[in-house]
Amino acid sequence: MLPALLYVVAITQLPFLVSIYYSLTNLKDKTQSLTPEPTKFVGFQNYRQIFSDPFFREAMWTSVKMTVLAVLLSLIIGTAFALLLDRKFFGQGIIRTLLITPFLLMPVVAALIWKQQMFSSLFGVLNKALNFLGLNSIAFISDHPLASIVTVLVWQWTPFMMLIILAGLQSQPSDILEAANVDGASGVGIFRQLTLPHLRPYLELGALLGSIFIVQAFDAIDVMTGGGPGSTNVPYFVYQESIGGGFRYGSASAYAIVVVIFSIVIATFALRLLSSLFKDEERG
Amino acid sequence: MHEARTGSVRSRRTLVVVLITAAAVIGATFAGAASGRSTAKTISVAIVANGQMQDIAKLTPSLFTAKSGIKVKYTILDEGKLRQVTTRDVGSGGKAFDAVMIGPYEAPQFGVAGLLKDLTPLAKGDRTYSYNDLIPAVRNALSANGHLYAAPFYGESSFLMYRKDILAKNGVKMPLHPTWQQVAAAARKIKTSSMAGICLRGKPGWGDLGAAFTTVLNTFGGTWWSAKPNGKPDKAQVDQPAFKDALDFYSTLVQDAGEKDAANSSFNECLTQYQAGKVAMWYDATVAAGTLEASDSPVKGKNGFAFAPVFKTKSSGWLWSWALAIPKSSPDPSDAWKYIAWATGKQYLRAAGPRVKGGWASIPPGTRVSTYRIPQYKKAAKAFAAITLAAMKAAPINNPGTTKRPGLPGVQYVGIPQFQDVGNRCTQLISAVIAGSMKDTAAISQCQQIAAQAIK
Repeated sequence: MLPALLYVVAITQLPFLVSIYYSLTNLKDKTQSLTPEPTKFVGFQNYRQIFSDPFFREAMWTSVKMTVLAVLLSLIIGTAFALLLDRKFFGQGIIRTLLITPFLLMPVVAALIWKQQMFSSLFGVLNKALNFLGLNSIAFISDHPLASIVTVLVWQWTPFMMLIILAGLQSQPSDILEAANVDGASGVGIFRQLTLPHLRPYLELGALLGSIFIVQAFDAIDVMTGGGPGSTNVPYFVYQESIGGGFRYGSASAYAIVVVIFSIVIATFALRLLSSLFKDEERG
Repeated sequence: MHEARTGSVRSRRTLVVVLITAAAVIGATFAGAASGRSTAKTISVAIVANGQMQDIAKLTPSLFTAKSGIKVKYTILDEGKLRQVTTRDVGSGGKAFDAVMIGPYEAPQFGVAGLLKDLTPLAKGDRTYSYNDLIPAVRNALSANGHLYAAPFYGESSFLMYRKDILAKNGVKMPLHPTWQQVAAAARKIKTSSMAGICLRGKPGWGDLGAAFTTVLNTFGGTWWSAKPNGKPDKAQVDQPAFKDALDFYSTLVQDAGEKDAANSSFNECLTQYQAGKVAMWYDATVAAGTLEASDSPVKGKNGFAFAPVFKTKSSGWLWSWALAIPKSSPDPSDAWKYIAWATGKQYLRAAGPRVKGGWASIPPGTRVSTYRIPQYKKAAKAFAAITLAAMKAAPINNPGTTKRPGLPGVQYVGIPQFQDVGNRCTQLISAVIAGSMKDTAAISQCQQIAAQAIK
């Protein structure tokens, strides 16, 4: 296995070390100065700058809002769909396939569809509907950038949550539910006291995986708003600072490394939570 | 135990097979790309997605490849993406493109930094190219220290286009040299629920909203940075009163009488709305006139043209050209020049006239003096040819405002590398002000911070 290990180290860890080195320099693109400037070692200057940069703080805050909103909403809607799909009805297979479709679409395509065919004030379906009802058009993306992006993310990630929750629902032993029915428990009561506790690990797993993916959201932002107040999250900020226009590779590396450190901390907690869940499962 | 081991041997074998297959596929891809380059004579060109460029992309196989045997692979991108891709490729010495489309902002900067091939000897040495036929204002804007770094594909200034019929119906008379106050009053008067008074760019990006806004800023007496005597940027000037005046004027005009969803509109969006009869006036690039007066245009013959509106300066129109340059790292510079000489030469203009969808009026304007002597073009472009040339000549590229500018010459941009990023990020804030989701004072204080930080 040694060659494989070396290969993995070479393609994942070496670039990371190089990034750390870059983050301690003032490296920038050659197009960014009229006369060639030598790259200087600047120590921790880039890092000191990060914490005084209000735009980075804003991007962090946007990331938090975007992730929390998107994960929560897609979990709630996903659970609702899963409960519906858990029953037997005519055409169930087709409905299930249709509900999963948004997740199978490429994120760029999903964002483009929403931007041009749903939100657009010229030929968007939503504004056509509003006008039909006698209401004024809304410039969804320009007036509510965060809400628009969260809408697309929720649309894409609801099926993912739905599948996880559905797996949870189908693993629920039916004899308990029957017993509850016989005892005269109401539907809401069964859901709150039996189904929900049973779903807890699945909900947590969905939230965890969802957060890991949604915190990296980039496609929707690039396609729909191209950044700006309320829609620049941390990945997009780092992109703008580096190859997206700023071309300051040194400070962009520093931002990226701070983000990696934060992610490792969060991921560690998350993994601990996950492993404790599995232990509970074994004991239970 | 035994079973488990065979299992792991089998899975290891599968892994090896998968890895070998993957390696073979990757290897084949590289080999294919390499051999494709060496045998078939293909060059890669990055261009911007405007009408005239789409036309040339369509005509290239029949007019160029058929004669020269050189295939051209186009990458067509919108303005913002094109800049990212070309800057990245040119700056890092990448070999993705043999020729890239850039403008007067990039050409002198990249040229001085030694990243582009000097086209002067090629252009002067090529008799059929006739270097001296290039319009001097455009040629100078694409040169630095007498070296031409990009060959102009089209050239433009900015001016005001308006629907003569709509203005007449509203009793508005537009002078040939209007002021911004006159234009604003007219826009507010004309505006109805189904037709906006004016279309102004509101989409973030220094070349989008940034270009239109900076011409307004200049003529309002504001600027982005003050200049030191040696031409280096001195202090950010975004927090000065003139900047706020210009911003407030621009954003309230768009909010009161501008197009729908202004924060997402730039050249192409305004063009669509103007042609659909949704706006009465439009301040933008002169090159648009060719599309408005094209033989297949729904508003043909209904348009009036006036010079870029002013306030405190005599002229305010910008100067821009989409031009083709050869990166120093180009894998095939001599074929690239053959292509550029064809695409920006006289012959293409004459060949394109009868072939493009919009007819003679929509051939690439503003690059060659001789274009304006072609009888068919003179006839088709009667409404706007003279004013286009005059506007390009009048563009105040060396002294665009009321104070000295840092960096290389420029009207709608500041000729320093930092402007690209500052312009992009600040126009996101200005766009938010136009959308009404941000206060002007908040945008100004954040933008001042961005502009100040960039030149530290």
